[in-house]
Amino acid sequence: MSYESSRHPDEDLPEGAVVDGEALARDVDEEFDFVVVGSGASGAVAAYVLAKEGFSVAILEEGPWVKTRDFQEVVYEAFKRMFRDAGTQVLEGHSYMPLIQGRCVGGSTVMNSAIAWRTPEDVLDDWRAKFGLADTLGARALEPHFDALEHDLNVHAVDDDALGENNRIMLDQAAKDGIVASRMRRYDRGCKGTGRCFTGCPSAAKQGMSVTYVPWALALGARVFSSCRAEKVEIVNGRAVGVVARTTSTTPGTATNRRVHLRAKHGVFVAASTIQTPNILHRSGIRGAALGAHFQCHPGHGLGAVFDDAVHMSIGATQGAESIHFRKTDRIKIETISMQPELAAVRIPGIGAELMRRFDTFSNLGVWAMLVRSEAEGTVKPGWGGHDKVKFSLTRTDMERARKGCALVARMMFDAGAREVWPGIYGLPSVLTSPSEVRLIEEGPIDSRAYSFITTHLFGAARMGPDPRTSVVGLDFATHQAKGLYVIDSSLFPTNLGVNPQHSIMAVSRLAATRVAQRARMSGPLARRAAG
Amino acid sequence: MKLTNLELRWARVAFIAIYPGFDGLAGIASMDTDAFLVELCRVVPFKSAMGLRLGIWLVALAPLFVLRRFATIASLGAGDRERLIASLLMSPSYVVRQLVLILKTMGAMLYAGSAPVRARLNRAAPSKSGAQPLAQIRLKRATAA
Repeated sequence: MSYESSRHPDEDLPEGAVVDGEALARDVDEEFDFVVVGSGASGAVAAYVLAKEGFSVAILEEGPWVKTRDFQEVVYEAFKRMFRDAGTQVLEGHSYMPLIQGRCVGGSTVMNSAIAWRTPEDVLDDWRAKFGLADTLGARALEPHFDALEHDLNVHAVDDDALGENNRIMLDQAAKDGIVASRMRRYDRGCKGTGRCFTGCPSAAKQGMSVTYVPWALALGARVFSSCRAEKVEIVNGRAVGVVARTTSTTPGTATNRRVHLRAKHGVFVAASTIQTPNILHRSGIRGAALGAHFQCHPGHGLGAVFDDAVHMSIGATQGAESIHFRKTDRIKIETISMQPELAAVRIPGIGAELMRRFDTFSNLGVWAMLVRSEAEGTVKPGWGGHDKVKFSLTRTDMERARKGCALVARMMFDAGAREVWPGIYGLPSVLTSPSEVRLIEEGPIDSRAYSFITTHLFGAARMGPDPRTSVVGLDFATHQAKGLYVIDSSLFPTNLGVNPQHSIMAVSRLAATRVAQRARMSGPLARRAAG
Repeated sequence: MKLTNLELRWARVAFIAIYPGFDGLAGIASMDTDAFLVELCRVVPFKSAMGLRLGIWLVALAPLFVLRRFATIASLGAGDRERLIASLLMSPSYVVRQLVLILKTMGAMLYAGSAPVRARLNRAAPSKSGAQPLAQIRLKRATAA
């Protein structure tokens, strides 16, 4: 099936709107009203809001702009071009935990499953009661922003045509078990169910930032500087006045290493993700006990199941079914995740002849995962060689919940008709063939090194709060230590959520950008211009 | 970081033991593992490349420690190589398991990412229950188109 004939929103961009750092032949020094660091869920939304308000905006993105027409099905090619550290980034702690982040225009929205969850009210209540956020991030404050995002990005439940067997089987089984589950609500405009969310949607149906808010912001006059890594925010007399960046390249050793200096008249928004934002702040001279602390995530572990009939994970939404039935009681979320062959192959038990024999069951393989809303907190710090160092270890309680989640998923798989379940837990048989064997998981290890956790949802490390001693960002989204330096991504979240975070990130960003734009309009040149 | 020719050879031997091919489908031996590894070590951070290198050395010298034989993996027969790597993947040492898993993971990127293997993995399998799920119907439609 070819998707190459149609034009996509990331083509036909305004002349001069995109500055490609890989091809930059000279240093750059330009001035804008606002500079936004990061083009993912947070940065793209903020840039669009600011541009719509009439401000000149520069978006700085460390990675390249990989266009829809250039997306490839092969995972390795996607890793090389669009993923941070070519997909080899890990959290270090009691065990190594792969950490998946985008490094391209659109950020992680290019390779995630576009799942939209409003921030749960119990989380917002917790932030207000325990972290002093008052109503800054209250349900009432966020609601209009969720509404607008859902309208802009066409949020709706997965269609029948895009559902696919992996998702359908899970939903059917949950209904039989009395587990509340639902089709995922996603940012989707015409999903064709190619199962390729992870390597970039080939039809631009997934409403990631590189085909929505970034091009929309450019159409309003914003500019994007791709392949430009933010080195630091310039802070003069306690105020953020610009960003210094260097050009980068996806091919190591070929960067032109040009200096990109973007001056900001009104302020700088840092929206570079929970890992990069704290380290950019650190490189900019921001200090404090809370910076880099309180990092949280949602570790996930996937189980494979072989069914009698074909599942065909390559057909249907990559992720289309989920349950938060156990979110409040056990801090567990269950979801489907269709894997491309390269990723699934690693999880297929065995090597050599055994592995090859199991390859022939691939079309009958389904993968479901459990995510745990872990209580553990880690740290984010600058590592050597300009890399980031994230330390994180799950607690015993987290592990008990994760084990329970794995057992729950395994039982559902058997009940759904699986003839084999692959738990992927060291110390247990690699293949379970009977529902009675699920007790092996229930009684299994609670050592994180026995599991194959992966994490994509990241929170904290630059918390919001009223007290500079315990937080980095104030209730006005500016850092306590520098005026005009705003943090608007999930690094300001005091805790994790228990649901997928993109929607919360975008709503918080939209709220922050709207408020900052209003203040700038009241005090800045736009107000003076309007006054005559 | 650049792998030496010896390291590339050991890695290739390990890859072939993990992905030997099956039932008419060529194994990873038919692919250019050297070029893949050379490029991989260029695009990943130094630390990740070092992990790969350690994994290669571990597998290469494992016969000394696991089989008590003065040999590298390259000098073993196909069956012994497979058994050796399988035992390393089940090692009680977490670090050993992780280092060998790096090889399985990287090999999967090359092998399962190739067009013939993807086509084989995604082909329609016979239905044991006789039912014709939506996915199979859509696959047939897509193939026909």
